[in-house]
Amino acid sequence: MLDIRVVDGQIQLAGVFDASQVSAAEPVFEEIHKSAVVNFEELEYISSAGLSVLLMTQKRLAGSGHELKLVNLSSHISDVFRYAGFDLIFSIE
Amino acid sequence: MERIFKRDLDQLGDVFSFLDGFADETNVGMPVVLPLRLAIEELFTNMVRHNPAGSSDITISLDRDGDNIVVVLTDHDVAVPFDPTQSKHVDTTADLEDREAGGLGIHLVKRMVDEIHYHYSAGTRQSKITLIKSVDSQHA
Repeated sequence: MLDIRVVDGQIQLAGVFDASQVSAAEPVFEEIHKSAVVNFEELEYISSAGLSVLLMTQKRLAGSGHELKLVNLSSHISDVFRYAGFDLIFSIE
Repeated sequence: MERIFKRDLDQLGDVFSFLDGFADETNVGMPVVLPLRLAIEELFTNMVRHNPAGSSDITISLDRDGDNIVVVLTDHDVAVPFDPTQSKHVDTTADLEDREAGGLGIHLVKRMVDEIHYHYSAGTRQSKITLIKSVDSQHA
């Protein structure tokens, strides 16, 4: 299961962001209209379905000069982002 | 070990539990489990999405052969075969505006495992995808 919380404008992800969680995650990300931090500290796993949600959000925000910044990625998730080339289109700290 | 899953994305939790149970029994750690989880999810969801009319379930088998984990996903009622080993190249260096989500899943599968093989049998309409990952592998 994926748990998403928005705390002081920061999006906090926890659990598993797989294809079965997209319909729950999309409405949360669609409400983001300005630059925001996404905290991966408690996220164990993400697949291409989760990456797609982040990609669509980043593309939409870029239209108004905003972006998502990603923090606290595990080493496995960092590898997934790198293999997808997402380290080139997201700010990752 | 082998298990049959319904053709439904809601089965992913059960698929992951199946993999975790296998990993516990065969002493396989998370550095190998997480990439396998990703590879299996991408292929399972592909089978669900690209063959929605398929009337049968999807079988997943997991085995340990020495230092290799062997995963076989079998779709039993496939009219139009899809060979993931022949999927189109994904440009992972494109600018943000040119990025598309399509194809990313299979691209990641190829990075997560050491070998991927595809076999389609027209007679039985069976698609079989075999993944091999070394427990010593340095893949993510």
